[in-house]
Amino acid sequence: MKFRGIIVFVAGVLVALGAGWAGFPRVIHQTRRQPVDFSHQIHADKAGSKCDDCHTFDAVGRFSGVPELEKCSGCHAALMGSTAEEKKFVDQYVTPNREPEWLVYARQPENVYFSHITHVKRGNLKCEKCHGDHGTSNHLRPYQEDRISGYSRDIWGTATRPAMTMDACVDCHRQSHLEHSCLDCHK
Amino acid sequence: MKQSRRNIFKFAGGAVAGAFFTPAPWRLITDTALWSESWPGIPRPVRGDVTAKFTNCGLCSAGCAIRARCVNGQPVSLAGLGGGLCPFGLTAHHLPFHPARLTQGPVEEATAAVKARGTAGLAILDLNPGRTASWTYRRAMASLKGSYLATADPVAYDLSSVRTVLSIGTPLLDGWGTPSKVFPARRNFRLIQAEALESRTAVMADQWIPLAPGTERIYAQQVLATLRGRDTSPVAAQLKANGPSVVIGDAPEVAEINRLLGAWGKSVVARAEAPAPDSWRKEAAPVTALDTLPEGSVRTLLIDESAAASYIPWDRIAPKLTADALVVTFAATKGGYVRHATYALPIAIYPEFMDDLGPAADSADPAWRISAPLVPPPAAVANLAEFAGALAGISASNTLRERAGAIHKAGLGTLTNYATGNETALKEVAAEDFWKVLSEGGAWQNVAAKRNPPEISTAPLVPAVVGAAPDLPLLAIREPAQPALVSPLMTKLYQESNLRLAPNRVALHPDEARAANLRDGARAILYTHAGRCAVQVTVDSAVPPGSVYVGSSPGIQDICSPAAHAKVVPA
Repeated sequence: MKFRGIIVFVAGVLVALGAGWAGFPRVIHQTRRQPVDFSHQIHADKAGSKCDDCHTFDAVGRFSGVPELEKCSGCHAALMGSTAEEKKFVDQYVTPNREPEWLVYARQPENVYFSHITHVKRGNLKCEKCHGDHGTSNHLRPYQEDRISGYSRDIWGTATRPAMTMDACVDCHRQSHLEHSCLDCHK
Repeated sequence: MKQSRRNIFKFAGGAVAGAFFTPAPWRLITDTALWSESWPGIPRPVRGDVTAKFTNCGLCSAGCAIRARCVNGQPVSLAGLGGGLCPFGLTAHHLPFHPARLTQGPVEEATAAVKARGTAGLAILDLNPGRTASWTYRRAMASLKGSYLATADPVAYDLSSVRTVLSIGTPLLDGWGTPSKVFPARRNFRLIQAEALESRTAVMADQWIPLAPGTERIYAQQVLATLRGRDTSPVAAQLKANGPSVVIGDAPEVAEINRLLGAWGKSVVARAEAPAPDSWRKEAAPVTALDTLPEGSVRTLLIDESAAASYIPWDRIAPKLTADALVVTFAATKGGYVRHATYALPIAIYPEFMDDLGPAADSADPAWRISAPLVPPPAAVANLAEFAGALAGISASNTLRERAGAIHKAGLGTLTNYATGNETALKEVAAEDFWKVLSEGGAWQNVAAKRNPPEISTAPLVPAVVGAAPDLPLLAIREPAQPALVSPLMTKLYQESNLRLAPNRVALHPDEARAANLRDGARAILYTHAGRCAVQVTVDSAVPPGSVYVGSSPGIQDICSPAAHAKVVPA
């Protein structure tokens, strides 16, 4: 056949495209579940919580990140609602006083120093600017960990959620004319 | 379809081509790079409580006030208080981990060798004079009948009230003084920078006067002649018209220029030291200039290279030694006098040591600051003050506390607490609190002290001549000195980017480099009348033709004085 060689070549291209776009992301990431399927939406709607009620700054301006069990136990010493996830949280973590091992979607490399208070208080950035709609989600999405680098897939961003890579930081700083030096983040 | 080897290769070729249009290869490159960040052996930042510690930078006598951000007690970043901090100071918390650091040395063997020599012909060379340790050396040398050698600059400048400054080759805005003092004062004076190269100070000056290399002294003589009415220099006219003015530079004529400008005793004063116990002053050996020592008179030389403010070329020291001289250097790096010493003993470095700081060039009033340790020193380090003290039977372990006691007893001046920002009259501070604040980050200063004019040299001013050396066609321009150890990070950012000339480099104009058959980055040999040194070449059109801009490594300083005749040839 005249075009047999081209067909074989194109078949190879198509197989690689399929594997690269559909298969590779499944292979490179392993999916891990959060200890409890926390609902930001319920806490925002029913309890009227705001982001900084739980994700607080301490006296010297450090960001507490994920709240510790002590913070949750303040309200959830006993069941407040009727969901299975809350019951699981109280039974498995609050009652035995065991810290849940939350998986942090936004975890950055060790050589990066990121000041939340500078961005929130001085830069007046909303949490959604970097964290997207995470604060209104009803379920915690699966944590997809890159098998090689160990980082969350979230740092690359999606169509609805901004990336948290160095390029994304630099782009934003460039737009705001706040480019300073490498040492600002890599202290 | 029939399977053939050709088809398999075509399919594989198509797959490879197609793979480049998927995220897989690009993502694998990024992932591998990220993975390599967490390989075993890669240091990981500590986690824990964030606290602040305060101290004074011990890299040079400017002694900038420092706030160290610490995690679990380990400093992770340094910042200057009340002003800027030089790039070396910003990264000084890396120094304890510097790969070129001297960490081991035969302390016991050196001690035994020095004791076996006896005290005849004993001398201490102090490269950072004006500290409490310097008093210990002087007391020890007085007790042992030895010589205390130092090269203290006797002059300090007050730039806060001047309107015009003429700097003849001084790196005024680049490590000369304390940034927190120099830069605020800079807003109020017009700076005229006269030097051969458009240096970092020249770039920031109001006016740069390019001089021919090696003619700084001739220029100073022209300014002096104008002030005496025998010449016409527009800059000298500016200095007279826009006073108060001051001239800063190394030329011997500068003192007389300042005297004629009326700056002597006002903005140019004798460098004042903080009070010291009377008993120390009575027991101290005089300060001896190295050049006044008889040749071949030193049998045992102890060198203190701790935070050295200057480097004396070895060919000025070597003639003073006997043929069998024992040289023991107390050094932080392998680069300085270690190359010439019989024994090299490691010392604690900033921010490990507990030491006070000598008076700064821009500190017209007496001040006293302690560089308190931010991290503990390694176990095996030696200390020349204790070493010399033990030889002379003097206890050197509590001298800083005794000095603080003497200052407190005088009851003058004010104490600044860096942690609170409060300034308190010393009379209102208890002795214990005074010591506590100083040793945890603070400074004492007496701005009400009487200022004295420096002693003026009586040596006659002879006309300067730039000689010729046909075999050495270039004139050397020296890079300002830098600390013996700088962070490897600064090496990357500051030196490889050519923002600052690396210590082992020389820079040539492209025409000179072409004539010598040298390209950028080439290995070469720098020749002067004093010897030769292996260097690396940077080609830079900012270097004036006919000159070579040389780095500040001890090896280069050993053979190349400022304005020395030189040539650079391929290695």
